[in-house]
Amino acid sequence: MNAAAQLKSDTQDIVVEEVFPHAPEKIWKVLTSGELMGRWIMAPTGFEPVEGKHFTMKTTAAGAWDGTIRCQVLEVKPNERFVYAWKGGHEGNVGYGAPLDTVVTWTLSRVGNGTRLRLVHSGFVLPKNETAFRGMSDGWKKVVRNIDGIAGEQEH
Amino acid sequence: MIEAASINAVMRTLADPTRRAVFERIVSSDEITVIELTRGSGVTQGAISQHLKSLKQAGLVAERAQGRNVFYRAEPEGLAPLVDWMSHYAVFWRERFADLRNLLKEIDP
Repeated sequence: MNAAAQLKSDTQDIVVEEVFPHAPEKIWKVLTSGELMGRWIMAPTGFEPVEGKHFTMKTTAAGAWDGTIRCQVLEVKPNERFVYAWKGGHEGNVGYGAPLDTVVTWTLSRVGNGTRLRLVHSGFVLPKNETAFRGMSDGWKKVVRNIDGIAGEQEH
Repeated sequence: MIEAASINAVMRTLADPTRRAVFERIVSSDEITVIELTRGSGVTQGAISQHLKSLKQAGLVAERAQGRNVFYRAEPEGLAPLVDWMSHYAVFWRERFADLRNLLKEIDP
């Protein structure tokens, strides 16, 4: 098993996918312009849509974590694919604000009347194998079902 | 409030493939002993005991002594911190998509 496959099997992804009535070029601009990012994600510092570029974003602080999200542009394929690393958190935190070493991948594909936009936020360490959830209480299964619903499409 | 320090312990504990395999075997049985866990695992009983110790410390596994045997079972609550943490981001991105939709409507009517 190679390193990528190993990583994949150890983590869970959040997937959100929607069709927007706008051309890929328009959506690309909103995804990759620092000024526009500030109007729907968070205003980035030091951002440029250039592979290798580091930038930060600031969110709500938690405990010893000041809320800084450290990002790095990993892939730029205009109007098609935009990938960046998303790291943050602090070891002292539980739940929100806990250490995070993840990757955000945006994929755009042209559809009849617009663009299908797919977000994959990957790298959440969770036991992937569903057998890990087998035999657990009904309450727990319900929680997992809710998460599946929120996360949308799961890849197995 | 979720028990302190548990998220790190849970992540570190499950990052080890052997330990994760042990945990999944415990989950798939109602209760299981060290001897049963060792059988067919390819590692020593001592190694399994060490993994069980880590799993217990992370709150993923509980034990019950009966006579000379100790039975291990999975503790579903142990995984809760990870789910809370992940669901925060699931909600976050849903909201960002809504904001993105509004912004696009505004700049590309």
